Amino acid sequence: MLSQLNSPPLYLICGLIILFVAIVCVIFLVRAYRAGKKAGMDPAVLKRAIISSATFSVLPSVGILLGVIALSGSLGTPWPWLRLSVIGALHYETQVAEAAAEQVGIGRLSASTMTPEAFVTIALLMSICIMWGMVLSVLFNKSYLKKIRRRGGDEKKSPEKGGFGDMAITAMFTGLVSVYLGSYIGGFVSGRGRFTFGGDFTPILVCLASAAVMSVFTWLSAKKGLKWLEGFSIAGSMLIGMLTAVLF
Amino acid sequence: MEERKAFLARYETNTHRLGRICTTVTLLLLVGAPFLIGRVIGAQPDMMAVLRGYLAVGLVWTVSSVAEFLIYTPMLGAGGGYLAFITGNLINMKIPCAMNARDIAGTKAGTTENDIVSTLSIATSSLVTIGVLALGVLLMVPLQPLLTSPTLSPAFDNVVPALFGAFGYQYFRKNPRLAAFPLALMTVFFVCVPSLASQTSVLILPAGAITIGLAYRMYRKGQKDQKGKSSV
Repeated sequence: MLSQLNSPPLYLICGLIILFVAIVCVIFLVRAYRAGKKAGMDPAVLKRAIISSATFSVLPSVGILLGVIALSGSLGTPWPWLRLSVIGALHYETQVAEAAAEQVGIGRLSASTMTPEAFVTIALLMSICIMWGMVLSVLFNKSYLKKIRRRGGDEKKSPEKGGFGDMAITAMFTGLVSVYLGSYIGGFVSGRGRFTFGGDFTPILVCLASAAVMSVFTWLSAKKGLKWLEGFSIAGSMLIGMLTAVLF
Repeated sequence: MEERKAFLARYETNTHRLGRICTTVTLLLLVGAPFLIGRVIGAQPDMMAVLRGYLAVGLVWTVSSVAEFLIYTPMLGAGGGYLAFITGNLINMKIPCAMNARDIAGTKAGTTENDIVSTLSIATSSLVTIGVLALGVLLMVPLQPLLTSPTLSPAFDNVVPALFGAFGYQYFRKNPRLAAFPLALMTVFFVCVPSLASQTSVLILPAGAITIGLAYRMYRKGQKDQKGKSSV
């Protein structure tokens, strides 16, 4: 079965869809860059945003590649390659694929029990389960953004100033980060029984190392005038943080 | 100035048009792919199993998708929003990436300039992921033992903590008073109900709402203080 799932036609189908999405990304990238320049934004800042996003994305992408490797044992390589290159999320794909395997009656996700019908059913289920963000975008992105801006009062003010909307986005992200940091602390304190302090300490250690390196980057950028370092600060902090996990 | 405003408005309208077209085509390709693959390998999806599976696992993800759309669209703006939902990996990559680019460019949420930066960021990030994965698939045989080695596995198990450690420093330092309460509250939640650890994404919406509520109080207080000062 795996040889069928790794056959050239499947690589071709998945590869062409990935190519289409890559072209879409290039179109959006070029349009946005040109629009930024035309709107009077500093090209150096735009370039810094691009470089920072590129360096930042390398390490998480390697993590996502591990997801492809993990799923390729049961679903072949082309399908996980497509899912994780385009729409999927690392935490989501494995969970849904496992659950879908149960529903199609092959028990657990495994190459030995996989049949062609089970595979296409799992593949369709994976596609349907996670397509709703795209559906909502098509239907409501425009009207929702318009409503949010009106509420934030940004349309009434100068575009550069922003209103509470900007503060709300920062607050939302602060809340998001709090959830993850809280989960690491909770995992250590109660991960192996409430208040036993026997859980996994590594995520906390990694967070602290990453935050410490980030503080050095911030200091160098703000106080020493090394602005160009901003583009590498998140990627550099993550790398040292992840290395800490290996060393301890 | 008027010309610039008109240009940005036109850019935004066209972004929505392009975003809708590209998202619809991608959606059709992704849903159509299993049927096309089915023709190649000689089987078609069992639609009853799909329905059963959707009711069993899909509904949870549908709710999660609605929450993701409501939370992340304002953060990403028009172009970034369409692209992020096409390319996925929002929490662990696209959102932090866009927020980082926004900090670097110093743009404000809700402005077209912010949309531009967020689009640049997400498009670049997606292209890097597509490139890394394509290279990884090409070099799967020699890379697999290295990437899955027990020595390196702790590093890749901790990508997200490394990411949020760096962001935690950046955001908490900006406004420690705002960050202290949600962090303390979430810590208490996870300490008292450790099983919540498997449902972190469910808590993002309430944590975000609480933090926005706190931020709004601070914002109103700041406005009142300013008014008081100006009247004196």
